Amino acid sequence: MSRASGDDFERAYRAAAIAAETWSGLPCREVYRPEDAVARDYARDLADPGEFPYTRGIHPNMYRGRLWTKREVCGFGSGRDTNERMRYQLAQGVSGLSVINDNNGSLGIDADHPLGLHDAGVQGVSVSSLADMEELFAAIPIEKLSIAFDLSGLDAIAWMALYNALAERRGIDKAALRGTVQNDTLHFQFCGYGDSCPVDLGLRTSVDIIEYCTQHMPLWHTGNVNLYDFRETGIDAAQEIAFGLACAKEYTKRAISRGLAVDAFAPRRSFYCSAHIDLFEEVAKLRAARRMWARIMREEFGARDPRSLQFRFGVHTAGASLQAPQPLNNIVRVAYEALAAVLAGAQSIHCCSYDEPIGLPTEVSQTLALRTQQILASETGVTRVADPLGGSWYVESLTDALETRALEIMKEITEHGGMAEAIRSGWVQAEIDRALLQREDEIAAGKKTIVGVNAYRQPQEEATPGGLHVVPPGQGERLAAAVKNLRAQRDGRAVARALANLREAALAGPHHNLLPALVQAATTYATIGEMLGTVRSALGYPYDPLGVLQPASERAA
Amino acid sequence: MSEAPLRILLAKLGLDGHDRGLKVVAVYLRDAGMDVVYLGIHCTAERIVRAAIEEDVDLIGVSSLGGTHRAHGEELIAALREQGLGELPVVIGGTIPVEDIADLERCGFRGVMRPGSSREEIVDLVRNEAEAGHRRMLRA
Repeated sequence: MSRASGDDFERAYRAAAIAAETWSGLPCREVYRPEDAVARDYARDLADPGEFPYTRGIHPNMYRGRLWTKREVCGFGSGRDTNERMRYQLAQGVSGLSVINDNNGSLGIDADHPLGLHDAGVQGVSVSSLADMEELFAAIPIEKLSIAFDLSGLDAIAWMALYNALAERRGIDKAALRGTVQNDTLHFQFCGYGDSCPVDLGLRTSVDIIEYCTQHMPLWHTGNVNLYDFRETGIDAAQEIAFGLACAKEYTKRAISRGLAVDAFAPRRSFYCSAHIDLFEEVAKLRAARRMWARIMREEFGARDPRSLQFRFGVHTAGASLQAPQPLNNIVRVAYEALAAVLAGAQSIHCCSYDEPIGLPTEVSQTLALRTQQILASETGVTRVADPLGGSWYVESLTDALETRALEIMKEITEHGGMAEAIRSGWVQAEIDRALLQREDEIAAGKKTIVGVNAYRQPQEEATPGGLHVVPPGQGERLAAAVKNLRAQRDGRAVARALANLREAALAGPHHNLLPALVQAATTYATIGEMLGTVRSALGYPYDPLGVLQPASERAA
Repeated sequence: MSEAPLRILLAKLGLDGHDRGLKVVAVYLRDAGMDVVYLGIHCTAERIVRAAIEEDVDLIGVSSLGGTHRAHGEELIAALREQGLGELPVVIGGTIPVEDIADLERCGFRGVMRPGSSREEIVDLVRNEAEAGHRRMLRA
């Protein structure tokens, strides 16, 4: 036991706020006055909630109309395992479901891939075919619920095909399906799976989803541009909105060149943002993003429908802000971040589990994350008034500063030829790497204080509070065996025909929508690996992103 | 030290794509004067072993943030022993629960670094273990 000295006490007593700047490095005064907020034209720059440019929120009455959707990202083991957890979540009061797939799925390979044995069903649910999708949604009325698919690579279009095939099986009109697919293939280049989703092919499938849903699934959100994952790489708040909005502009441009009218598809686009630890900066960031997107859509794309102009967003509290030492502290971090999301007017929230830097969430830690949202929604009273921080000289000033900085970055991206080109050239990756190292240096130098890490440290705990999620032994083998079994039992000729048809669709030109052929293939129980491999190899990319498997046609030859 | 700089192989195990931490570690080690061979994401045990031999490294550092550190870790250690590289030090970092540390050490890992480890802790671990590995190999 170390004994506190008088000096320690003196230091603790005298401690003052050291941060003269925000997490992202924006300088701050000690106090703000009316003249500090640049955006002083109320009607032009702020306006009431529900009014252009929506700085103050997209609904006039915000949470008095409807609270945000409480989702907790879910996915592990087999379809059956995740189905059980989702039904548990529904019983605990979530208001939307959110599914994430495993690493195999993100790469677009099946559970029985020779390099995927240990990863199948670990970081998310294992889904290789319609058979898994049927298990995943067993006894869940998909025509009544809003479901989010947290998938952004080529797996996004594969899951849309499986989900449509499932609806067909159940006799449900696809026009009745409600939900969101993340479908942000550009940001996916930075999630560690980029090789499996080449930029051009990804842009094609992203627009395929937008086009298909616009024509057939009017209640579906066709994409949830993922600012969150960008932020997690270590970039700052202004970069987060600049990179995200630049990606969103690419999809908008390409959907328009596919022949869609902007107001036909833009009302079903949305965003997925981070809520990091610097509370006021995060609120300001999200308010700035709303104003910027409204102006971009109106001025650059000529959108007129108010819903096309609205920056609708879900929030994921910042996993990167959580720490392994003293893990219970993360409960507090998550609560502050969720508060920022609510003060900023989020449409849906996922709260991280406190054990995220340690392992996969347990039922206990995930339920606590949901309770964090429920306490915020029902006890704290922060939902009572729309945009409660609007008019704060400080927050308005920060909103302006973040907008100015983000617009500068977006200008740079335009000079690099737009986001797709800036990604291809490596510019975005270089910016990310630079920001990441700067952040780590700031922490090492003590410029940023992180409790339990560079301040108030304690010896490492002996056990994880709340216990651990344990991956059952033999899970990978069981999941692989199920897929092998499926391949043996299904109608192989129907699969081969459907894949040949899919290959033709892929070769029918970059504007030919792949989804109808994918839905047909999904119905025959073709696997995700087979479907995406067929598309990839038709277009000259490797059949298997890990370079091991060959297409069935060549294996037979 | 007047000898050649330490050569460190860094790789991510399995299919996990979280590579932010490993990139930071690469820069820490480079700034500390070491040569880093960075294999990046999606490495199999075979690939890591082959690279370790070809690049003649002094230590292997692997990263796992996907909950598969035990399965992939055991495979790597076994593959190294099979190739007669059982004395080559291997350390691991990532989202690893305290409960798993002793098992990983028993399996053969010479150090386990969790999120929140400082630059000094990481650099010291790598340097000390690489040099201890040299001494073991000299004795052998």
